[in-house]
Amino acid sequence: MSSLMNSKLSRRTVLRGLGVSLALPWLEATSSVAKAAAVTSGPTRMAFIFVPNGVVMNNWMPKTEGYGFQLTRTLEPLAPVKDDLLVLSGLTHDKGRANGDGAGDHARSASVFLTGAQPRKTDGEHIRSGISVDQLAAKAVGQKTRFSSLELGVDPGKMAGNCDSGYSCAYSSNISWSGEANPVGKEVNPRLVFERLFAGGKPSEADKSQQQREALQKSVLDFIADDAKRLQSKLGRNDNRKLDEYLTGVREVERRIGTKTAKPVDIDVEYAIPDGIPGDYQDHMRMMCDLMVLAFQTDSTRIATMMFANAGDNKNYRKIGVPEGHHDLSHHGENPEKLEKLSKINHFQIQQLSYLLQKMKSIREGDRTLLDNSMVVYGSGLSDGNRHNHDNLPILLAGSGGGTIETGRHLRYDLETPVCNLFMSMLDRMGVDAPFIGDSTGRLSGLSV
Amino acid sequence: MLGFTNSFGLALAVSVAFMSTSMHSIAQEGSRDEIAMLAQKTITKYCYDCHTGANPEGGIRVDFLATGTELGDHIELVDKIILVLKDQQMPPADSEQPEGADRVQAIEWIEQRLRKFDCGSASRPGRVTMRRLNRTEYNNTVRDLTGLDLKLANDFPSDDVGNGFDNIGDVLSLPPILMEKYLASAKQIADEVIKNVDATKKVFPTEPADILDEVIEVTRSNVMHFASRAFRRPLDADETQRLSKLMRAAWEANATKEEIMQTIITVVLASPHFIYRIEDDDPKDFVDGIRPLNDFELASRLSYFLWSSMPDDRLFQLAGEEKLHTADQLNAEVDRMLADPKSRALVENFAGQWLQLRDLDALSPDPIKFATFDAKLRRSMRQETELLFNSILKENRSILELLSADYTYLDERLARHYDIGGISGDEFRRVDLQGKRRGMLMHGSILLLTSNPTRTSPVKRGKWVLENLLAEPPPPPPPNVPELGAEGETLGTLRQQMEQHRTNPNCAVCHVKMDAVGFGLENFDAIGAWRESDGRERIDPSGILPGGRNFNGPLDLVQILVEDKKTEFTRCVTLKMLTYALGRGLGVADRCSVSSIVNKLAEENYRFGILIKSIVTSPPFTHQESGR
Repeated sequence: MSSLMNSKLSRRTVLRGLGVSLALPWLEATSSVAKAAAVTSGPTRMAFIFVPNGVVMNNWMPKTEGYGFQLTRTLEPLAPVKDDLLVLSGLTHDKGRANGDGAGDHARSASVFLTGAQPRKTDGEHIRSGISVDQLAAKAVGQKTRFSSLELGVDPGKMAGNCDSGYSCAYSSNISWSGEANPVGKEVNPRLVFERLFAGGKPSEADKSQQQREALQKSVLDFIADDAKRLQSKLGRNDNRKLDEYLTGVREVERRIGTKTAKPVDIDVEYAIPDGIPGDYQDHMRMMCDLMVLAFQTDSTRIATMMFANAGDNKNYRKIGVPEGHHDLSHHGENPEKLEKLSKINHFQIQQLSYLLQKMKSIREGDRTLLDNSMVVYGSGLSDGNRHNHDNLPILLAGSGGGTIETGRHLRYDLETPVCNLFMSMLDRMGVDAPFIGDSTGRLSGLSV
Repeated sequence: MLGFTNSFGLALAVSVAFMSTSMHSIAQEGSRDEIAMLAQKTITKYCYDCHTGANPEGGIRVDFLATGTELGDHIELVDKIILVLKDQQMPPADSEQPEGADRVQAIEWIEQRLRKFDCGSASRPGRVTMRRLNRTEYNNTVRDLTGLDLKLANDFPSDDVGNGFDNIGDVLSLPPILMEKYLASAKQIADEVIKNVDATKKVFPTEPADILDEVIEVTRSNVMHFASRAFRRPLDADETQRLSKLMRAAWEANATKEEIMQTIITVVLASPHFIYRIEDDDPKDFVDGIRPLNDFELASRLSYFLWSSMPDDRLFQLAGEEKLHTADQLNAEVDRMLADPKSRALVENFAGQWLQLRDLDALSPDPIKFATFDAKLRRSMRQETELLFNSILKENRSILELLSADYTYLDERLARHYDIGGISGDEFRRVDLQGKRRGMLMHGSILLLTSNPTRTSPVKRGKWVLENLLAEPPPPPPPNVPELGAEGETLGTLRQQMEQHRTNPNCAVCHVKMDAVGFGLENFDAIGAWRESDGRERIDPSGILPGGRNFNGPLDLVQILVEDKKTEFTRCVTLKMLTYALGRGLGVADRCSVSSIVNKLAEENYRFGILIKSIVTSPPFTHQESGR
């Protein structure tokens, strides 16, 4: 682990140490982190993790179904949490397919991953996908926590050029969409995630009354919201769509100030302040996982997404003996050497997932664990990177959603069963009433027995 | 995107048609009639069944397509047709499909006719969607507004890229996390300004006397001055009044003078009028859905194009006097602005994205195969290309020199990499290339950018040239292409393997274009160092370009590009730069503006300054269309 992990401080010390650099007194959402929900069982959380370029399915899919299935070589790192997860085979994202739109499977594999919606093929004008499952849940239950949702990633979006065959890079580097034209950008810097989550913990200054400062901050928000509303009538359709994003943002900040009454957290979390993006890829991934766990643990949010890499990512994994680019390799042409290297990458990513799940399992919440109270989906929007197929996707579901899911099994579904049916089943468990999402046709059967 | 193409593509289409007889035919030009006949046959056979007659499929009738009719009347439709043909969306997957070569030929025939379309005065300027400041623009704008170079946007989430650039209004979204950052940054900037005497003076230039009335008056005028600069236009009465009211409310709530200032600065910097570049869409201003931009809007378009930042005092002054919008004045301002060091932004942001130099940082060649490569060399590579671009821009030289320059800019590290002696130290200087290399295609940056971590990729190199230098992106491969090696053993050099791949005419139709260019550059390894052999195999850098020109080695190849492809290259640079200047993807209606800029450049020795001046005086830049 990198040196920045060495100094372990209690979170309280950390928050004191953050000092003035983070001070945003008129925006201070709360005097401390919200207390984890008082109920002993803990609230239900949902998280989604995306990996690009598909996986080598032969080394992924267990041979047998039901209880007691054998972990395959790619899934082997999950042994410590095997009884806490489901391997879901046979699920499909039909809207990831071309359906008349030609090439661009990588861009579609990310944009469809949580939306189940056919993205409009455009490099700029009128981007459109659909609302994603996490954002749908965030709109419905997000107001219960300070952050309605958290969007994390490891790699920033591409800086120039084209991402995939006429699809804007917005499709490749986001999986969360708050509306059909609104990708929700992700945070890749652990320091910034930490500051965002916990900056509110700074003790309030004594010289001014809290009330007065609040009045000023409220007047700022009122003023800029008013600016935006006055603008609406002066603008056309597309401009107004942009302005809606602005107004949504203002409302979200207002809401957070409104939830400031939460009591100070009374659990001690040992965690050092991250000081930026670690040079090592694995350190970076694990740190983002840590932050997701911290956010869940402190009930700062109950909904999170994470991109382990962007769609079509071509980075090398030299540290595990793969000097070639991931995307280049994924066009393996059944070459055994390439398949071997791809499997190594798949295995490495599963190791990071296992790290996350084990960490969640180690956190007790009443008579359960954080993992028990969660539903963590892990997978890719492509099955075989060589064929670019969007059926029989590699999908895992970890955690029992508060004891409502019977884990420890490999379930095989009829081909063409929409991934969105899984999302519907998850939304039910989050207490979200949605008529459908994407191309869902119902609920996924057999999650509970 | 526009479907421009040219005789290169045309010759290719012909060559493919004859490919089966002998490789020699690549070098032969078919007669125009013959091409037309074959293309018409394809179109009639595959499109007419559904898309003619009284009840055409989807209401789309294409029976004008295979006749000699002027396409201008159907320009929007033709653009869509080209797109669905290129993407293989049509004919539908369950219908009979044309051979790849026939498809390409038909597309190129249509495009060729489209180019002949006479523009007249029909072109519309298009609507640019309201643009959020991207990270660079935000940083620069704050710097120029306050004098403080805080770079707070470096911690904002990255801006998504569309049409190759990160300043495209339609793609720049504003998720809630960014709103938080805007608010936090606005507050932080306010704090910094108040702490810093010089910044305070820049933001609030007038010093009040001690009399209370005057303090109020001066404060008010300071605030309005600041807000107006931040919004990049004069305030309207309503805004003035609301800001005054806010100040008053804060004052009545016992806020100190600093707190009032802080609140104002925060409000202004978090306002949509600061965060977005807004061009009003009020129906009463438009005639036939079009209006000329006002001088303040033009000032912002100019300054964000050339400086990635807000207008300076002079631009504001010219705008205030309504003197900016004449062609003469715009041209004069371009000269002045390019001479300003702030025009460095055009190099970093335009060239950095057009040529994808920004992506260099994310690349890491295999350290075992390329032991000499390190971060310093990578930086030097990027700098070389930026310096060449910058010198051609600043010295108003021909844009063709980007391809053909027999000089470059090197420091010791890069000179060693190129095997050029006599350069010592970290300082870059202009160096005569002594015939070893020419132009940016032989820069380490581009060669590295178009390679895989462990080896060169002639296909990537060729594709990069087609996409970024000739604006002829090859269509994506048809679905279910057999992989290299899938049909029997492939042996021999990379080149021999690729040639095997190309025996399939459906692959050859595009690969013959890409690969020829790529193989011409094979003497440069994956980090751009010169090599005579690849492993045990000697490099053969010769080839035949579609159209029949033979070349032997990279210098030859570049010479042919500059001689035969200058129109295509010029059009490509124009397309890219106009996209960047406008912040939107180009459409079929921009075709005429682009053509007239390209023609102008040809008349004026392809000078860089002419390109920029032609853009800033073009209708899409000076006018706006209603988006209602």
